[in-house]
Amino acid sequence: MKGVLFLAAWVWAGFGQAAEPDEPQGSVVRVRAAIQPFDQFRPWQKKAPYGLNGTGVVLPGGKVLVTAALVANRTEVGLEKPGSAEKCGAEVEAIDYEANLALLRPETREFLKGFQGLTLGPALRAGDTAEVWQLERNGELLRNQAEILTVGVGRYPNDEAGFLQYGVRVSLPKRDDSYTLPLIRQGQLVGMVMMYDRDSQEGTAIPGPMIERFLQDASDGKYEGFPTLGVSWTPLRDPNLREEVKAPKSGGILLTRIHPRGTAGRAGLQEGDVLLSVDGMKLDEDGNYRDSLYGPTAIGNLVRVRPTVGSKAKFLISRHGKEKELTGIYDRRARDEVAIPTLSFDTQPNYLLAGGLVFQQLTGAYLQEWGDKWTERAPQRLVELFSFQQEKRPDPDRKVVFLSQVLPAAINLGYQQYSGLVLEKVNGKEIRNLSQLAEVLDGSLEGDLIFEFMDDPGKLVLDTAEVKAKQDEIRKAYGIPESRKL
Amino acid sequence: MNTVMVEVTSQVWDYRMPWNPGTISSGRGAGFIVAGKKIITNAHVISGARNITVQREADPRRYAAKVQYVAHDCDLAMLEVEDSAFFKGTTHLNLGGIPQLESVVSVYGFPIGGDRLSVTRGVVSRIDYNAYTHSGRESHLAIQIDAAINPGNSGGPVMQEDKVVGVAFQGFRGDVAQNVGYMIPTPVIRRFLKDVEDGKYDHYVDIAIRWMALENPAMRKYLGRPNDGRGVVVTDIFSEGSSDGYLRKGDVLLSIDGHPIESDGSVRLEGKPVQLEEIVERKFAGDEVKLEVWREEKMEAIRVPLKPADMFSMYEILYEPPPRYVLYGGLVFQPLTANLMAVLAGGADLRLKQKYTMFATDQIYREMPEPVILSGVLPDSSNVYLRGLAGQIVKEINGKKIRTLADVEPALAANGERTVIRFEGDSRPAVLKREEVDRATPRIMTQYGIGEVSRTELGDRRLAQGLARQEETK
Repeated sequence: MKGVLFLAAWVWAGFGQAAEPDEPQGSVVRVRAAIQPFDQFRPWQKKAPYGLNGTGVVLPGGKVLVTAALVANRTEVGLEKPGSAEKCGAEVEAIDYEANLALLRPETREFLKGFQGLTLGPALRAGDTAEVWQLERNGELLRNQAEILTVGVGRYPNDEAGFLQYGVRVSLPKRDDSYTLPLIRQGQLVGMVMMYDRDSQEGTAIPGPMIERFLQDASDGKYEGFPTLGVSWTPLRDPNLREEVKAPKSGGILLTRIHPRGTAGRAGLQEGDVLLSVDGMKLDEDGNYRDSLYGPTAIGNLVRVRPTVGSKAKFLISRHGKEKELTGIYDRRARDEVAIPTLSFDTQPNYLLAGGLVFQQLTGAYLQEWGDKWTERAPQRLVELFSFQQEKRPDPDRKVVFLSQVLPAAINLGYQQYSGLVLEKVNGKEIRNLSQLAEVLDGSLEGDLIFEFMDDPGKLVLDTAEVKAKQDEIRKAYGIPESRKL
Repeated sequence: MNTVMVEVTSQVWDYRMPWNPGTISSGRGAGFIVAGKKIITNAHVISGARNITVQREADPRRYAAKVQYVAHDCDLAMLEVEDSAFFKGTTHLNLGGIPQLESVVSVYGFPIGGDRLSVTRGVVSRIDYNAYTHSGRESHLAIQIDAAINPGNSGGPVMQEDKVVGVAFQGFRGDVAQNVGYMIPTPVIRRFLKDVEDGKYDHYVDIAIRWMALENPAMRKYLGRPNDGRGVVVTDIFSEGSSDGYLRKGDVLLSIDGHPIESDGSVRLEGKPVQLEEIVERKFAGDEVKLEVWREEKMEAIRVPLKPADMFSMYEILYEPPPRYVLYGGLVFQPLTANLMAVLAGGADLRLKQKYTMFATDQIYREMPEPVILSGVLPDSSNVYLRGLAGQIVKEINGKKIRTLADVEPALAANGERTVIRFEGDSRPAVLKREEVDRATPRIMTQYGIGEVSRTELGDRRLAQGLARQEETK
């Protein structure tokens, strides 16, 4: 959603070290992904395809690790052995767009036979060095020394809340297979480079412990993802604010919003509570806990990476000056159970045609389609509902169905300028999602078909019989294969 | 000649530092003499004027002039000159009508490139509604000509056969078009002259509805109208506006002051199709408009008394009134205005931007006639933790709802050791110790050169009244 520079832009710089004779053989493969995203503005079709190439890490079990961004909206993923043209298709076994990791399984089991694979190495600290591996065209490894500048919680490309990440400085030459690159130390995998800025020669990498958690979760064949607390919070450094909320002498953060279905909400935490510790780890006024490895680290790592979905959560809070212990279960509901999902990769957007009116169910991906300035360019009501959905659409089961465009036809004359209108009712019946709209339209309606919207002009009316009679004609005129996708 | 040079020294308020008198600049425009020894020019030539002089071609002396009336909404102003010697030997210009398309007009003024009177000829190329950029809010009839209008032309007469047919006022925004100029046509000038006859200028009036063209047969059938190509349907009524209490959503408007309304919203005026709003444009506050309305399968005749649409004053760029503010311990509170949004520009957060853009359409003014913004935090040792809160919309202070700037000072005066300011959304509150604020305020005022702790008088600025507020106080 935000302007993040992916590993797409590379520049020639520096020289790689020559491959050393003791380098572990059979540890990386080329990964070629054919990408074709759906067209959010024309949800019945896909956009022009393109290819992305990365360097995947072969794991001891014969599977391949890449970043999720490499294989998002894929139509096909292939593996290729370095130094030979031997190819094999691959399936995505587990993928996490928030954590930006994906696990691939070769379609042919024997394909990676003879590959040793890389084991996971220990976590790094600021000041450590490692290597970034790239593949030359001839299959040789190109190894560049990287310095770990920072270790801290930061934003991932498709996650606003933040995960642990390494800030790395490395000089990387331009190579084809660089959309995903492994970070290696002493022959072990310690991270995956996910973003790189060619001007500053700095990038960010997904740390080994994140990869470890991801692989553990995926190992039982049922991937659950990283839990989330479902809270908004603010630091409590200001002594006046501490006094006002009756916070104890030191430590703790102020909770300013709680998702009622999230981990914290269901454990009984409330807006205005001061969160003092989580699972026995004390929080300071800025929301940091003392990590045994990294020192002061943001709460994000404590509540998202350390616990797993389904594990127990323990909170110590101060409410109106009284300390209180609350317990709950870590889950992802604050992320998954929302009216308007932020992420939607790999799936075709929903839509429904009725009399040339195109209805869609709102997603973050639709808004993103308006470009970098989507908050200014997209219909303002949609931007509002998405950006402030905890206030405006607190009920996660009430999705936002909206008129995205009108395909001009004789029966919708006079309506063709309307778009971005949020649908509330059809013939008096409240619409809570696109499937329900389909049900209402398929029901025994006759006479006027009255669509009621949140905003001006309020109502648009069509004739039910005419809508049914013209449905196929309009669909065919615009070359749309299906009149709906629910 | 009756074209005069208008030289102006003006001061522009700084909404970043609303207590400052603002930056001083000077500029030049044109004007012309009309009946009654008055000078007509553009509002934007004299806005914020601290000193005005006028000069004629035939007379080297500069005469002091004063603004008698200013109408920012249609970019016109009337000046008076005390020294009657100025008018010696002059005759006034008369107003003509709307010139024909393709006819030739002459533009008089003092544009850049020299100091003497300049005359340019141009052809009338279009007569249509256009945005009047000076107020930022209004659209009125404007005439496009193919002569460039440059700074210094502004306020000058556009002549055809010895009559004024317009006032040159703006060029084309952006650099895609060349030799495109706009003039204010005489119906707008006449309206201005008539409006000020009573000694003051009132704003344009507005019917304050939204309507939809009635082209769709299914919609027509639903509303019980035959397919006769007539009428538009009312889709929204702005509360507190002219039509509030007179019209309803779903009403079909069939005629306005006896002019039949076509299904695209046009009416015929002097043989030419114009939008139905043009009928309202020519009226004044207190006038009525007669509507023929189809409501619940019956015809009704409804008279709507007209008044300005104050809910849209949010979008009006302000020139004369000094910016209003309240200072409290380094916290600067300002009402939301077009001027404030302009200085915040890209820096304003989404919540504030949406409050602004949706202020009228979402009828936010009913709850909050004038949203109050924490527009800045002047750094001081007493507010180190509050600086990140700049740009937030104030919801309540010490438990009192804040609906206009006038609510701020009384709410701050509440008793208690601490002042708690809450904002819209999920931002943290600002908490200040009264004692500390009392100590910090004189220090901050000295440090930042602030003379007054607040400026809250509304002057003649009109706000939406806020029905909810009235109901509550009743």
